Amino acid sequence: MDFAGVERATGAVGMAAPTVSADAGSILGAPIKVSARDVNVFYGDKQALFDVSIDIPDRAVTAFIGPSGCGKTTFLRCINRMNDTIEGARVKGSVQIEGKNAYASDVDPVVLRSRVGMVFQKPNPFPKSIYDNVAYGPRIHGIARGKAAMDEIVEKSLRRAGLWDEVKDRLGSPGVGLSGGQQQRLVIARTVAVNPDVILMDEPCSALDPIATAKIEELIDELRANYCIIIVTHSMAQAARVSQKTAFFHLGKLVETGPTEEIFTNPRDSRTQDYITGRFG
Amino acid sequence: MAEHTVKAFTEELDALTQEVARMGGLAEAAVNDSLTAVARRDTTLAQSVIERDQKIDVAQRDIERRAIKLFALRQPFATDLRVVLTGWRIASELERVGDLAKNIAKRALILNQAEPITLTRSVERMGKLAAAHLNQVLDAYANRDVQAAIAVWHQDDNIDAHYNSLFRELVTYMIEDPRTISSCAHLLFIAKNIERIGDHGTNIAEYIHFLVTGEEIDTQRPRADNEPGIS
Repeated sequence: MDFAGVERATGAVGMAAPTVSADAGSILGAPIKVSARDVNVFYGDKQALFDVSIDIPDRAVTAFIGPSGCGKTTFLRCINRMNDTIEGARVKGSVQIEGKNAYASDVDPVVLRSRVGMVFQKPNPFPKSIYDNVAYGPRIHGIARGKAAMDEIVEKSLRRAGLWDEVKDRLGSPGVGLSGGQQQRLVIARTVAVNPDVILMDEPCSALDPIATAKIEELIDELRANYCIIIVTHSMAQAARVSQKTAFFHLGKLVETGPTEEIFTNPRDSRTQDYITGRFG
Repeated sequence: MAEHTVKAFTEELDALTQEVARMGGLAEAAVNDSLTAVARRDTTLAQSVIERDQKIDVAQRDIERRAIKLFALRQPFATDLRVVLTGWRIASELERVGDLAKNIAKRALILNQAEPITLTRSVERMGKLAAAHLNQVLDAYANRDVQAAIAVWHQDDNIDAHYNSLFRELVTYMIEDPRTISSCAHLLFIAKNIERIGDHGTNIAEYIHFLVTGEEIDTQRPRADNEPGIS
C-alpha cells in the first residue's frame, strides 16, 4: 500500500504478507496486516520494550494484555508512530504495515496515522458538531468531493459505528453533548471515516458503563469484518470476549501470543498463566 | 502454583477439589460395600449402601453449586477454568458410580434370598478390579498425577475382558440349569454395572489428563471386547 494515497486498497492488492510467522499464534487463513520485528523502545535511558516480534492478522481483533507498565500501550503506539510525539522516545526495529516499513524515511507520520486510526481510553470528540467530528478527517485528507459525498461518508461512518439511529436528527449538535458511550462511538465513526487499514484501541471501554461497553464490543465484532483491530485492555474478560488473538506482555517483553481461546484455556508460559488467573504478586 | 491475589478465590477452588475428593471417597465406599454385600450375602450392608446413595447425590449438587458460583463470580481462566470444569464433570461421573453401586446393592438384596451360586466369585474378582480402578483414579485426581491417570485409562481393557468372559460363563450356566436364570440374570446386571463403573473411572482419568495438561487424551482407547452388543 501507499501511505500517500487515500483510497483504501480492497482485496489482495498490495498485500505483501510475510511468509514467515514470528509467533505461534497466527490465525488460520488470515493474511498478516502488521508485522513487527525486534522492536525496542527507549524513553531516554530507560528501555521500555525489548525485542518485540509479532504478526498481526487482518480482519481480526488482536488483544494486548499485561499488567500496567508492561509495554503493551508503548508497543501499540509504535504502530502509528505516536511515540514520535514523546520527547526522548526512540524506536528501533521494524514495523511493517502491509509490507511497508512505517518508519521508512519517506513515510509521513500524519498520513500514516490516517491509515492507522486510534481510539483512546477517554472519548475525545472535537468541540464541534457531531457531523463535523466525522467529516473532519475526510475533509483534511480531501476524501469527499462535494456536500453529497461528504453526507454519505458521515452517514456510512456513523452507521458503521452503530450511532446513526441515535444521532441522525441532531447532527448539528455538539459531539461533547453525547453520553460517554456515544462519544466513544462517535470517535470510532471519526476513525473509520478516513478508511483506515488498522484501528488501534487503547482501553476503549475503561471509562464506560457495562451497557456502553457491550455496545462497543459488539461494534468491534462487526468492524473486524473489514479492519485489522488491535485493542489494549486491562479486562481479561474483555480480551477473551472480543479478540481472536491475544498477546501477553510483561516487563517490556512479549511473553506469549496465541489464539485467544488457547491463551485463556491453556497458556504455555507460567507468567501468562499467573497473570490471567489473577496470581501476580 | 502461586496463590491468587484474591485469597478467597484460591480457597474456593481448593474447597471444590476437596469436596470432589470427599465425594470420590463416598462413591468408592459404596462400590466396595455393594460388592461385599453380594459376596458375603450381607443384607444389612446392602441396605446401608442404598440409604447412603443420597449423600452422594447431595455432594454432587453441592459441587455443582460451588462450580456455578465460581463461574459466575470469579470467571475462572486457564488452570482455574479446568479445575472448576473438571470438578463438575468428575462429580457427575461419581454420581453415576453411586447409582450403579446402589443398583448392585438392590440386586444383592434379591440374590440373598436365593440359593448361592458359585459364579458369584467371578463377579467378585471383576468387582475388585473395578474398585481398584476407581481407587487409583481418585488417587490420581488427588495428586494431579497424569501418568497414574493414563495408567488407569489403559487398564479398563482388563475389566471389559473380564465382563465378556463372565457373560459367556453366565449364559452357559443358565443353559445348564434354568433354575439359576433369575440369579444369573441379576449377576449379569451386576457385572454390567461393574463394567460401567470401570468406564466412569476411565472417563475420570480422561478429565484428569485434561485438568493437568489442558489437552484431551489423543489416542482412542484400545478395546478388548470385539464382540458387538455385549458391552
